[in-house]
Amino acid sequence: MDLQALWLTLRLAATTTLLLLALGIPLAYWLASTQARWRPLIEALTTLPILLPPTVLGFYLLVLLGPHTGFGRFATRLFGHPLAFSFSGLVVGSVIYSLPFAAQPLAAGFRAVDAALIEQARLLGASRWRTLRSVLLPLSMHSVVAAAALCFTHTVGEFGVVLMIGGDIPGATRTLSIAIYDQVQDFSYAAANRTALLLVSISAIALVLLYSRRSREGSARG
Amino acid sequence: MSDRIARTLALSLLLVALPAFAQQTLRIAAAADLQPLLPPLLAQFEHETGIHADASYQSSATLATQIIDGAPFDLFLAADLSFPQRVIDAGRAEEAKPMPYARGTLVLWTRNDSGITSLSLDALRTDAIKTIAIANPEHAPYGRAAQAALQHLDLLNTVHAKLVIAENIAQTAQYADSGNAQVGFISLTSALTPRLKGDGHFVRVPADAYPPILQGAIVIRSSAGAAAAHRFLEFLQRPETQQTLAAEGLEPVH
Repeated sequence: MDLQALWLTLRLAATTTLLLLALGIPLAYWLASTQARWRPLIEALTTLPILLPPTVLGFYLLVLLGPHTGFGRFATRLFGHPLAFSFSGLVVGSVIYSLPFAAQPLAAGFRAVDAALIEQARLLGASRWRTLRSVLLPLSMHSVVAAAALCFTHTVGEFGVVLMIGGDIPGATRTLSIAIYDQVQDFSYAAANRTALLLVSISAIALVLLYSRRSREGSARG
Repeated sequence: MSDRIARTLALSLLLVALPAFAQQTLRIAAAADLQPLLPPLLAQFEHETGIHADASYQSSATLATQIIDGAPFDLFLAADLSFPQRVIDAGRAEEAKPMPYARGTLVLWTRNDSGITSLSLDALRTDAIKTIAIANPEHAPYGRAAQAALQHLDLLNTVHAKLVIAENIAQTAQYADSGNAQVGFISLTSALTPRLKGDGHFVRVPADAYPPILQGAIVIRSSAGAAAAHRFLEFLQRPETQQTLAAEGLEPVH
């Protein structure tokens, strides 16, 4: 069993999920509340990573993170090393790749909150931040949990982007999905089955936790 | 009315789709190092014989797995002899032994703007080189050759931490050409493509540093295009074709 790959995958999924919640909550709040004319454009852009084949997305990231773009050089200076073939690079890739899985459920959850409640909070003098924290988030907790679980499991199962920008380095970029691929390529089907079972178990546990929480909420409300 | 539209649509779809079945096609599973040079050869083959050929390019291991699992290919052009042998062992090939059709050459490649002034295998020891791309030695023949060469030159332990592993030899070239890896062990076939010739330069890895990369072919058992596959193999072994291959980085076997 490739415990190193397991630990790496869990770290990657956890980091990505936390970053996506930090980015996704303000973004979704904006998407749900803005009247701006270019809101559809921004919303379309946040959904685009679902459409792009992961290997294509990975290839563009490889070019973007490389030394031939301004962003690549900036990121290299910022992190002290080139982003491709590193854990930080995988985090950047995963955040882009899983962004729709955070933004979509969060925006849907925020939109479902009664607009009158938000208006009242604002009329009572609450700032936008306070409204988000005390009204929107508590009322759409199930969406936050759903977004987190989706981001986590989606990152655990991520393959194409990691294959393109990872470089298959044990302990740094060889995630469980890459380890399985290597094992299959190497005709080690028994080892691949064991690793795949682990991958499926992690995702299954995360999803069961998510859905049991949802039914508890449902019965508490009813 | 809409019924008539639906019928017209179905009929036109059928008319468009039918010729695809009528035409004889040869389906080739080709190792990734063949990607730069195979398409013009396939066009020439079609011109001479009227047989249209389509190729899928992957690492030899991926292709071997797919064929063993029943992928509908007629011909397997691998980058070594071990992967076609696996297909033979699985009972999916016509031949009892893979037929060597070419010999691959391993080169060390870098971009002209990588800052490496004198490219050599010894330069890999220096701190100036921090990332070296190789294909996965577990399942890509050129990666296996690169690992053998590093071991032979007593470099493997020194450079181990600098290695980044690509899925196949085409992706190795991509890692190096995009500048993310400073140097890459790639196939001569990639290094001789116009794009990589323009972007960088290479040195050949000494031939005695790695076991020869003998590339083997097999015809897939009871495939629809078996006859066409045999014709293509004859075409591949003709002196003129072998000359073309040599000019693009694949030496004759003998």
